[in-house]
Amino acid sequence: MKYRIVDEENGPTLVLSDQLLFDHRDLFDTAIDKLLARKQPKVAVDMAGLSYMDSAGLGMLLTLRDRADRANVTVTLRKPSPEVAELLDLACFDSLFTIERA
Amino acid sequence: MCAALARALVVDDERMNREVIVANLRAAGFETVTAEDGLQAWEILDAHPGAFDVILLDRRMPRMDGMELLRKLKDDSRLDHIPVIMQTAYADPEDVTAGIKAGAYYYLAKPLDRRLLLSVTEAAIADHQRRQRLLDDLDKRTTAMLLLDSGTFRFRTLDEGHTLAVALARACPQARHLVAGLSELFTNAVEHGNLGIGYDEKAQLLENRRWRQEVEARLDTPQGRARLVEVEVTRQTERICFVIRDQGDGFDWRGFGQISPERAFAPHGRGIALARNLAFDHMEYNDIGNQVTAWIDMADTSADRGQAVCAIASSLKVDAPPLVSEEIQLARAMQLELLPPQKSLDDLLRRSGLLLSAHFETSSSLGGDLWGMQVVDQYRTGLWVADFSGHGLVAALNVFRLHALVAQCAPVADMPAAFLAELSRRLSELLPVGQYATMIYGVVDQSAGLFRYAAAAMPPPLLRRTDGRVEKGDGAGLPLGLSARVAYAERQMALSPGDLLFLSSDGLADNPDGDGNKLGNGGIKTLIEASGQEATANSVLAPFLARVARPLRDDLTAVCCRLP
Repeated sequence: MKYRIVDEENGPTLVLSDQLLFDHRDLFDTAIDKLLARKQPKVAVDMAGLSYMDSAGLGMLLTLRDRADRANVTVTLRKPSPEVAELLDLACFDSLFTIERA
Repeated sequence: MCAALARALVVDDERMNREVIVANLRAAGFETVTAEDGLQAWEILDAHPGAFDVILLDRRMPRMDGMELLRKLKDDSRLDHIPVIMQTAYADPEDVTAGIKAGAYYYLAKPLDRRLLLSVTEAAIADHQRRQRLLDDLDKRTTAMLLLDSGTFRFRTLDEGHTLAVALARACPQARHLVAGLSELFTNAVEHGNLGIGYDEKAQLLENRRWRQEVEARLDTPQGRARLVEVEVTRQTERICFVIRDQGDGFDWRGFGQISPERAFAPHGRGIALARNLAFDHMEYNDIGNQVTAWIDMADTSADRGQAVCAIASSLKVDAPPLVSEEIQLARAMQLELLPPQKSLDDLLRRSGLLLSAHFETSSSLGGDLWGMQVVDQYRTGLWVADFSGHGLVAALNVFRLHALVAQCAPVADMPAAFLAELSRRLSELLPVGQYATMIYGVVDQSAGLFRYAAAAMPPPLLRRTDGRVEKGDGAGLPLGLSARVAYAERQMALSPGDLLFLSSDGLADNPDGDGNKLGNGGIKTLIEASGQEATANSVLAPFLARVARPLRDDLTAVCCRLP
């Protein structure tokens, strides 16, 4: 996984690329730290560049949601690729996150 | 040394400044690339993220200034590790502090001192390479340190300190930060403590490039050979504590705990502050300064505890075959005992005519998958497959939890939706954030001719009719353990004599073969279509098992149930 954070008008966006796998937990945690350190009420995760995510990736998104909740921050998932969207749908993540489709 | 191959990006809006720096760096054997402002530098770095070893950055520039570029770099995982040396003509202490906080490696005051420019640039690159090496070592596999409750270690040389820092950090959460912090403290204990190299002396040595040589020489004196650094580690519920004691005369540690604006311009002396800022929750020296106590808190929220457990699991890597311990073997045997024994499958066949078969294969010694069956009565049999997030030790421990909870949910074994809801409720009380299970639970109801099931984010159940057609169910549902109150939908598929019901974990679709190709949902359907009337889990999977790359990347479970 690679990431960068882009500050946009409606809050910082975590732009992910490559694959999100079990091995990337530390890196993802660091990204969450940076994202929430912005102290903005809304954050987004841009998933357009993410070609694959394994089940641990869902866990990392849940961690993000939990930490964001506790900081009163809402999380939007944006533009998941068809493969990633399939996994999000399978896990009914639209009941946990706002998901903006491509 | 390494500087001969290093490439620097020089960012300054004034041409004269760029030329001065470039001339100096080139003369010292660096390759250089220049940019006229932050924006141009960003475009270069964005296009070539792996190309630079160090960035020399002016602070005040049009379009995008140095601080903004610095922040963008630190927010990008491809670039955040490149050391950035800021240059400024305005040595406003607050500016300097802000820059250091934002992650600048050094501050150089303008006009530039040529010798300082070179020694700082080389030190930045060497430091950066040392950190990268530490992180690389961190990924290597060892296990025993994880079992450490408390212990005392002694070392003498910088290399031994490095090895110990890596080994200790791997057994702790936030290992990547911790390894840098421990390494700084261990280095200090050797060079400032046991070898008695003073702060100014080190600056001098670094400037003359004799530091490493001097350390080696002093290690080889009678005193250097006799003096050791002692490290005591204690793991408690709330914290992991490190006491590092050297045999030197101590040093005046006061003032080294923060990176002061004055020292931002000095060529070294930020190790202690870096260690405190990055790695530890608390750090204190004894009065004379030859003993430092540092600890990391095991965070007070369950979320962070969860991460701690995950970090430990990943560093454990119990799958390394040469290192599989007796305990792991024992745990593996116990885990296999959780699966339904052949005898109960034989009983089921005799009683109800259902031919149940399964393939269960883990990606490491211990797995995060499990399947089971639950006899409701003469005509109704519960079947389930579950898959915990992650794999290895944490997932395996969760499997034991699940097995116990399934037994407790037996009263609702004939109501799939209620069964999953109850299981989810119980799991949510046990699992930390970020860990969850996916599961399908269904009842083969032979009196009603139905498979009634509920699913929590599992691959869809498949039904092969006697004419070879394959029907697909729906596996969507919220994973188990996320919250206490989740409702699941009961779904159903009509059963006919001779049908083959097929349930699997996502390992079947997702484990790649030797060429990296995955079976996917379509491939699974083809496998089942191709299977014959006498199919069992092993015969259905045979073509897949012959091709799949091993070791498996993910645990794999498949259950087949053939109706009479």
